Amino acid sequence: MRGGVTCNHGRRGDLLNALVATFRRSWTVTWRAYPFVFFLATLMLGGLTVGLAYIALHVIGGGQVGRDFVDKAGTADYFSYVAVGAASFMFTVRLFLGASRDLLVEQRGGTLGALLVAPGRRVSYLLGFAAFGLFQALLEVIVLIVFAILLGASMSPVHPFTLLVGVLVLTVSVICVAVPFACVMVTAGEAHITQNTFIYAVAVLCGFTFPISYLPGPVRLLGELIPITPALELLRGGMSGHGTLGTMLPQLLIALGLAFCYALAGLAWLPHALRRAMERTF
Amino acid sequence: MDAGIRTAGLGMTFPGRRGLHRGAPKVAVDGLDLAIPPGRVTGLLGLNGAGKTTTIKIMATLLRPTSGTIHVDGIDVVAKPREVRRRINLIAGGERMVYMRMTGRENLWYFGQLYDVPRTVLRKRIDELLELVGLTKDGDTAVEKYSRGMTQRLSIARGLINDPAYLLLDEPTLGLDAPIARDLRKVVARLAAEGRGVLLTSHYLDEVEELCDHVYLISDGKHLAQGSPEELMAAAGCDRSVRVVITNPSAPIRAIATEFAATLGVTPTIVAGENGELEITIRHAEDVAGPLMSALVTGGAAISQLEALQPNLEDAVLTLAAGGAVPAEAEAVRA
Repeated sequence: MRGGVTCNHGRRGDLLNALVATFRRSWTVTWRAYPFVFFLATLMLGGLTVGLAYIALHVIGGGQVGRDFVDKAGTADYFSYVAVGAASFMFTVRLFLGASRDLLVEQRGGTLGALLVAPGRRVSYLLGFAAFGLFQALLEVIVLIVFAILLGASMSPVHPFTLLVGVLVLTVSVICVAVPFACVMVTAGEAHITQNTFIYAVAVLCGFTFPISYLPGPVRLLGELIPITPALELLRGGMSGHGTLGTMLPQLLIALGLAFCYALAGLAWLPHALRRAMERTF
Repeated sequence: MDAGIRTAGLGMTFPGRRGLHRGAPKVAVDGLDLAIPPGRVTGLLGLNGAGKTTTIKIMATLLRPTSGTIHVDGIDVVAKPREVRRRINLIAGGERMVYMRMTGRENLWYFGQLYDVPRTVLRKRIDELLELVGLTKDGDTAVEKYSRGMTQRLSIARGLINDPAYLLLDEPTLGLDAPIARDLRKVVARLAAEGRGVLLTSHYLDEVEELCDHVYLISDGKHLAQGSPEELMAAAGCDRSVRVVITNPSAPIRAIATEFAATLGVTPTIVAGENGELEITIRHAEDVAGPLMSALVTGGAAISQLEALQPNLEDAVLTLAAGGAVPAEAEAVRA
C-alpha cells in the first residue's frame, strides 16, 4: 500500500455511515460489557419507578388526590399521570445520558483522539451515541409501561398521533439539550455533577410528576426555558386527550424553537470543548 | 502544490488556567518551521515539555495553532481540517486509541467506516493490515485479551486504515518489549519506503537514530537544530572516546599518552586504578584508537583493556538542549 487516501471524499452518506457505525459500535461494546446486567437493570428501574408511585398514592395518599391537583393536571388519575411522567422521565434521562456523556467516556477510555482525527463529522458521533441512547430508552420505557399497566395505570392514548408527535418532539428536545451539556462535561472533564444537575433540575422543573403550575413563578419560568417542558405537555395532551395537535401547536413550536437554540449553542461550543479536551489528552 | 506537511512560524500559546481563574499564558510552541516530506521518516526531538506532542496535535488537527501556518500537501490545516484528516493519521503510544471490548477486526471496521472507506476496499484492507502487523490469527479476538504489544500493533493498523499519506507517530513504541519495538520499527521503515511521510517523536533515541533521515530538535517550543542524526552529533560536538587500561604503568608511558593527546589538541584523563593499573581516556572527534594503541605498545605498554565509544544521538540532544558548544563546521544546522 502507498498513501493513496482511498476514502469517499465528501460523500453525503458519510454522516449516516459514521452514525450507523457508532450505533453498532455502542451496541457491541455495551452488550459485551453488560450482557445480563444491562437488561436486569432496565427491568428493575422500570419496575421500581412505577412501584414507588403506586405505593405513594395508595399507602401514603390513600388512593386519593387533592382537588387542586385535578384542577392543575386536568385528571384525577394520579397513578396514570405519574406513570406517564415516570416513563417520560426515564426516557429523558436515558436519552440524555446517551447523548451527552459518551464523548467524555471516549476521552477517559483513550479513544477520543482516534475519533477526532478521523474526518467523520462530530455531530455524527453525537447522533450515533444518541441513537443508541434512544434504543436503550425505548427498551426501558416499554418495560416500565408494562409494569404500569399491570398495576392498573391507563396507558392507552386518546390522540395517538399527537402522542407520537409529542414523543418525537421530546426526543429532539432531549438530544438538543444534551449537546451543550456534552460540551460542559468534556470541558470540565467530569460527568457526575453535570448529569445529576440536569437530572434533578428537569425532575423538578419540567412537570414529570406534578404540574409545573405548582411551582413558584420564577422557578416555573426556569422550567419553561427547557424545551422538555412544552414537549412533555404535548405528549401528555396526546395521552390524556386534553389537547390535540392543533390546540397544542404553541407548545410544539416553543419546544422546537428552544431545542434549536440549545443545539445551536452546543454546536458552536463543541469544537472549543473538544480542543480543550485534546489539550488534556496524551 | 507543495507536497508534505509544512509549517511556517507555527505557534501555540495556551491560556493560563488556575482553577477558575486566569493564570499566565503558556507558550508551548514558538515559531516552528518544519517540513515532513513524503517518503521520509522525520524525527521531532526535545526534552519533556519541549512542545513535541503539542506540535503533533496541531498537525493532526486536534489543536488550532495560535500563530503561523500549517499546510498538508498545500491544504490549510486550519481552514480545511476535514480534508487534511483524510490524508493523515495519528498513533500515540501513550493512548489506547482502540476499543477494548471489540475485536481487532471490529475496531478496524469501525474506524474504516469513520473514514468512509468503501466496503469492498475496507474488507481487503483490514485483512492486509492485520497481516502487516502480525495479528491475522488474533483478528477476531477481543482487544481486552491482547497483550500491550498486540494492542499497540492494532493501533498502528488503525492508523493505516485510511491509507494515509502522512503518519504522525507520538512515542509509538512506548512501553513495548524490545522485540515488538523492533518489529514496529521495521513496519515504520517500510511505510516510509512505500512513500509515506512519517513524523516520529520518541524518547528512545536509538530508534530515532535508526529510522530518521532528518531530525528537528526543539526546546521550550523553539527550533534548536536540525539535520541528519550524524549532523546533529557533529553539531553538538560529541566526541568519540578511547579508554585503555595499562597493567605496567610508568612515567614514560604516561608521557607517551600525554604527548599523543597534545598532538590532537586535547588533554587525556589518566587515573591510577586500585590494583596498580593505569586507565587512560582520550576524547576526540576522530577515531584515534589505532594510533594511540600503536604509540603505547611501541613505548612498551601492556594493554589489558581497550574500549572505543562512539558518540550517539542522546549525547547530541542533551548537549544541544543544554545549549552546548557548536563546532564551526556544524553551525549551518543550528537554528
